[in-house]
Amino acid sequence: MRRYIAKRLLISVGTLFVVILLLFTLLQFMPGSPFNDEKLSDEQRAVLYEKYGLDKPVVVQFFHYVVNMLKGDFGVSYTISKNTPISQLLQTRLGVSLRIGGQAVLLGAVIGLILGIIAAIWHGTIWDTIATIISVIGVSVPSYVFALGLAYFFGYELSWFPLLYQMDAPFNSSVLPSVALCMFTIASIARFTRSEMLEVLGSDYILLAESKGVYGPRLIFRHVLRNALIPIVTVLAPLIVGLMTGSLVVEKIFSIPGIGSLLVTAIQSNDYNVIIVLSFIYSAMYIGIMLVVDILYGVIDPRIRLSKEAPHD
Amino acid sequence: MINENILAEIAFKDDDFQLKGAENTKLDMNFASQSFWKDAYVRFRKNKGAMFSLIVIFLIVLLAIFGPMISPYTYQETHITETNMAPRVQGLENLGILDGDETLKTSTGFKEKNAYVVDKTTGEKSDSYYWFGTDTLGRDIWTRTWTGTRVSLYIAIVAVLIDMLLGLSYGLISGYFGGKVDSVMQRFAEIINSIPTLVIVTLLMLVLKPGLTTITIALMITGWIGMSRIARAQMLKLKEQEFVLASHTLGASNFRVIFSEILPNIIGQLITNTMFSIPNAIFTEAFLSFVGLGIPEPMCSLGSLISYAFKSFTTHPYQIVPPVIVLALLMLCFNMLADGLRDAFDPKMKER
Repeated sequence: MRRYIAKRLLISVGTLFVVILLLFTLLQFMPGSPFNDEKLSDEQRAVLYEKYGLDKPVVVQFFHYVVNMLKGDFGVSYTISKNTPISQLLQTRLGVSLRIGGQAVLLGAVIGLILGIIAAIWHGTIWDTIATIISVIGVSVPSYVFALGLAYFFGYELSWFPLLYQMDAPFNSSVLPSVALCMFTIASIARFTRSEMLEVLGSDYILLAESKGVYGPRLIFRHVLRNALIPIVTVLAPLIVGLMTGSLVVEKIFSIPGIGSLLVTAIQSNDYNVIIVLSFIYSAMYIGIMLVVDILYGVIDPRIRLSKEAPHD
Repeated sequence: MINENILAEIAFKDDDFQLKGAENTKLDMNFASQSFWKDAYVRFRKNKGAMFSLIVIFLIVLLAIFGPMISPYTYQETHITETNMAPRVQGLENLGILDGDETLKTSTGFKEKNAYVVDKTTGEKSDSYYWFGTDTLGRDIWTRTWTGTRVSLYIAIVAVLIDMLLGLSYGLISGYFGGKVDSVMQRFAEIINSIPTLVIVTLLMLVLKPGLTTITIALMITGWIGMSRIARAQMLKLKEQEFVLASHTLGASNFRVIFSEILPNIIGQLITNTMFSIPNAIFTEAFLSFVGLGIPEPMCSLGSLISYAFKSFTTHPYQIVPPVIVLALLMLCFNMLADGLRDAFDPKMKER
C-alpha cells in the first residue's frame, strides 16, 4: 500500500514538473519582455533584469520560476489590469468558482445516486426508463444549453433568480449556475451507479444474503450499495474535468467573476502571464484530484489495499 | 514453363479427397448460420432509438450539405436594412405561424412587431423570406446554421480518424509488446492525460491562431487516449489465446498478428468506443467556439452561432433556437447511436 501511494505521488509530482517545464518553455517564446516601457534606458533595463534575475542562465531562471510558482508568487498581469499581482486577481475569483463547482458536485452526486439506485432497484420498469432517459439527455446535451434554458426561464421570464451574478447575493446568484453545471454529474453518476448496482445485485453473495433472510433497505444499503460505491470514486476525476470546462461557459453566461471567465478574458486580451498561471492552477488542481482519487480508491478497495503491488497501472 | 506443367500435374484436384461419411451429414436448414456482422445488424435494426438516431443524423447531414445551397443567401452576406428579422416561411405564414411576427418585451408591456412590413398603413410586407430569421447583422440564420453544422460534422470525421489511426495503433502496439515498450508508452499517455484538455487547448491558442486547424491539432493531442486504453485492455485479454499462438507458430509477423488476427476480434468494441468519442469532439469544438477560442468571424460553427445569438437572446430568442437544437440533436443522436451499436455488437452488455 505504501509503495502504491509513493508511486502515485511520484507520478503526480513528475507530471506537475512537466507542466511547469512546458509553461516555462512557452513563456520563453512569447514576444516582448516584462519591461516593455520605452522610457527605460538600456542601463535601467539592465538593473531591472539583474533585480529580477533575468540575466541569469535559463536553467537558474527555471529553478526560480518553479520555486515562485509553488510559493504562490505568480507575477503581475500585463493587460487585464496593468501591473496587478495575479495572486490578488485570483483571491476573490477562486472562491466564487470553487463554491459553484462544489455545489454542483454535491447536488449532482446526491441526485445522481438517488436516480441510479431507483433505476437499479426497479430495474426494467417505467422508473428505470425515466432515469435512463434523464441520464442520456444529461450526458449528451452540453451544459451551456441547460444554462441558457435556465437563464431564460428562471432568470428572465420568471425572474426567480438573478440573470447575472450579483456580488451581494452570492447564494441566490449561484443557484442557476450550479444547477446547469450539475446536469452532467447527475447523468454520469446515475448511469454508473445503476450498472454497478445491477452487477452487485446479480452476484452470489447477494443471493446468499437474500436466502439468509436479509431484504429491503438493509439489503440495499448494507450489502449492495457499499460494494457498488467503490468504483464510483473512479468517475470523479473525469467529472472534475467536465466541471472545469463547463465552468468556463457557465461563468460566461451568468457573468460570474470566477477563474473561468478570467481565463477567457485573458485569452482574448493576450495576457500571457495570466493564461500561464491559470493553466498551472487548473493542471495542479486536476493532478491533485487524480492523486486523491487514486489513493482513496486504494484505501477503500480491499483488493488494492491488501495486495503488495497495484494490480492495475 | 516446365515447372508450371509439373506443378499442375502434382497439384491436388477437387475430387482427390472426399470427406468420410459426408453423405450422412445434414445441414441445419432451419437456423442458417449468421456472420458476426449480420447478427449485429439484425440486433441493431430492432433498436428503435438507435435507428431513429441514424435517420436524424442522416437528415442533418443532408441539410448540412444542401441547406446552404437551396437558400438564396450566403453565410457571410449582411443585410443592413433587414436585421433581427423573425423567421418567415412561405406557405406556413398563411397559417399564422412563422410569419415574421415577434413579441417584444418592453418596459411598458408586450409589443407585437413584424419587421417584414414595409408599408405600415397598408401592412404590405417585403418579399424576402428568412426561414430561421436574421441575426443582428442581418445574416441569414438558416444558411449560417447549416454551414456551422458542416464544421461539427468535419470534427466528427476528424475524431473518428484520430481514434482509428492514432488511438487504435497506440493501444494495440502498447498492449501487444508489453514489458518496457508498454511501460514507456503508458507513462507517456498518463502524462498527457494528466494535463487537462482545457489547458492544452489554451496553450495551443497562444502559439497558433484560433481556427479549425488549431482545434484539429488539439483533438489530435488529446483525443486518442481513451481509445488507446480500450484497445490495450482488449489486446491484453486476447494475446494469450491459442489462435494467436497458432498464428505465431505458422510464422506470421507481429504486424499480421496484431492487425489481421487480433483486430477483427475486437473491432465491435472499438467501433462503439469511436462512436462515443464523436459527441465528445463535437462538444469540445462547440465549447471552444462558444468561449471565443474557435472559428473566427465571419465563418461560423454551431458553438460560435450560439455564442453570437446569446448576446441578444432575451430580446430575440428565436436567433439562438436553431443552432442549439441542431447541436443538442447531434449530440443526443450520436450518443444513442453509440448505445445501440454497443448493444448490437455485445448483447451481454445490454442488461448493464
